[in-house]
Amino acid sequence: MQLFKNLYNYRELLKSNVKKEIRGKYKGSFLGVLWSFVNPLLQVAVYAIVFPYIMRIQTDNYLIYLIIGIIPWTFFTTVINQGMITVRMNAGIIKKVYFPREILPISVAVSGLINFLISCIIIILFCIFGGVGITWHLVFLPLIAILQFILTLGIVFALSAINIYIKDTEYIVTFLINMLFYATPILYEASLFPEKIRFILHLNPMTQVIVAYRDIFLYHQVPSLMGIVYLVIISIVLFFIGLLIFRKLEKGFAEEV
Amino acid sequence: MSTKKDYAIKVSHVTKKFKIYYDKANTLKERLVFWKSKNKNEERTVLEDINVEIKKGETVALIGTNGSGKSTLLKLMTKIIYPTKGKIITVGKLTSLLELGAGFHDDFTGRENIYFNASIFGLTKSEIDAKVDDIIAFSELEEFIDNPVRTYSSGMYMRLAFSVAINVNAEILLIDEILAVGDQHFQDKCFSKLEELKNSDKTIVIVSHSLESIRKLCDRAIWIKDGHIKMDGEANSVIDSYLEECK
Repeated sequence: MQLFKNLYNYRELLKSNVKKEIRGKYKGSFLGVLWSFVNPLLQVAVYAIVFPYIMRIQTDNYLIYLIIGIIPWTFFTTVINQGMITVRMNAGIIKKVYFPREILPISVAVSGLINFLISCIIIILFCIFGGVGITWHLVFLPLIAILQFILTLGIVFALSAINIYIKDTEYIVTFLINMLFYATPILYEASLFPEKIRFILHLNPMTQVIVAYRDIFLYHQVPSLMGIVYLVIISIVLFFIGLLIFRKLEKGFAEEV
Repeated sequence: MSTKKDYAIKVSHVTKKFKIYYDKANTLKERLVFWKSKNKNEERTVLEDINVEIKKGETVALIGTNGSGKSTLLKLMTKIIYPTKGKIITVGKLTSLLELGAGFHDDFTGRENIYFNASIFGLTKSEIDAKVDDIIAFSELEEFIDNPVRTYSSGMYMRLAFSVAINVNAEILLIDEILAVGDQHFQDKCFSKLEELKNSDKTIVIVSHSLESIRKLCDRAIWIKDGHIKMDGEANSVIDSYLEECK
């Protein structure tokens, strides 16, 4: 509850921080904010060339299949990568002014969410012009996006705080995210994953997220209830664990950072 | 609970220890390799068993030599750092001016920085809108307010920062050694603003070495020496005994 009270009282700070987060990242570059949309598309272009032609993957609508995987994944990794270092990056003001520290990771996550929702327009454009079309199933999009937001925020709460005390966190997490990328059906279909260890794929909450997005955009079906229930539980649990770790560690920020 | 709180800040039995690292093991490798030799750091007690109660509307100065712990006490009151032992309760909205211009961004204009800086102090957009003209007028930077602050001289920078902080309508104001801002004209202006705040029943705590200003401004002074309260009382008499010892 303290969290919501703080957020309400400091809503102006949150707002200007989110703006700074969105504008500041690509400051000075020629395309500016556009890079946050061009980047994932370029990544999609690479995979769209490599996989069908070299690896001979034969998934229908592979380009759209990829885009629906890559864009939410970019949302996830951008927030983790930026959120992890946000407390350290703001060391200057942390040492000098009091404000609710949780504003920092939350700003990163909110700016990621806004970026993602804008990117969804790109997905929709590809669906329309790629011949897949769109249906009423889009109403599930906000639900899944919010769940992904809560999940990611929980992780970022924990990582941003731990990273102050153990600098290696950054490098370990970069590696883990790389692993996770291949343990999520982004480039391939879940059925291609070896059956013996496929449970790993399904335990990964990001699998549920991506699968749900594909149901919404590509297959035009209601996302599986089991998947959503699993996602709700794991997001909320991770969120509270993350917040707890953050609360425990934030008192030392000004001294340790 | 019907007990009336007539204090603004209550510091009870506060002890603050800092870890002094000779060689801080920050990476995992260092922690693993040196996990046995943990006694590389030592603790230094900066404040020990401090008890202070500051009433609403009081203007209090913290004095003492460098390293005596007065700035640490001020930081504890702002909740930037937390006590090792003991408790600090503050009642009402609190603003601290520990360092001017904390959170200023060089590429943003003066006006944008007013909004950004005031939002760090917890103001909302409409509250800032109502005050922005006062802030600009106080800083006397009307001509330059829409230029990026990187083009400002250091004096202008400080004036803008001070104007924001002083115009945030806080009930408690914590100030660390910033009475010497800008030229004589602006210093006088800051001083009279502080006097005005004092008369409007704000609680003010100042850390300062300019004893003459303290004599004029404060009712009460607390002398901190080596982490303990050496003397607490009427400003003039505390300053006199402090000067006596400094001789």
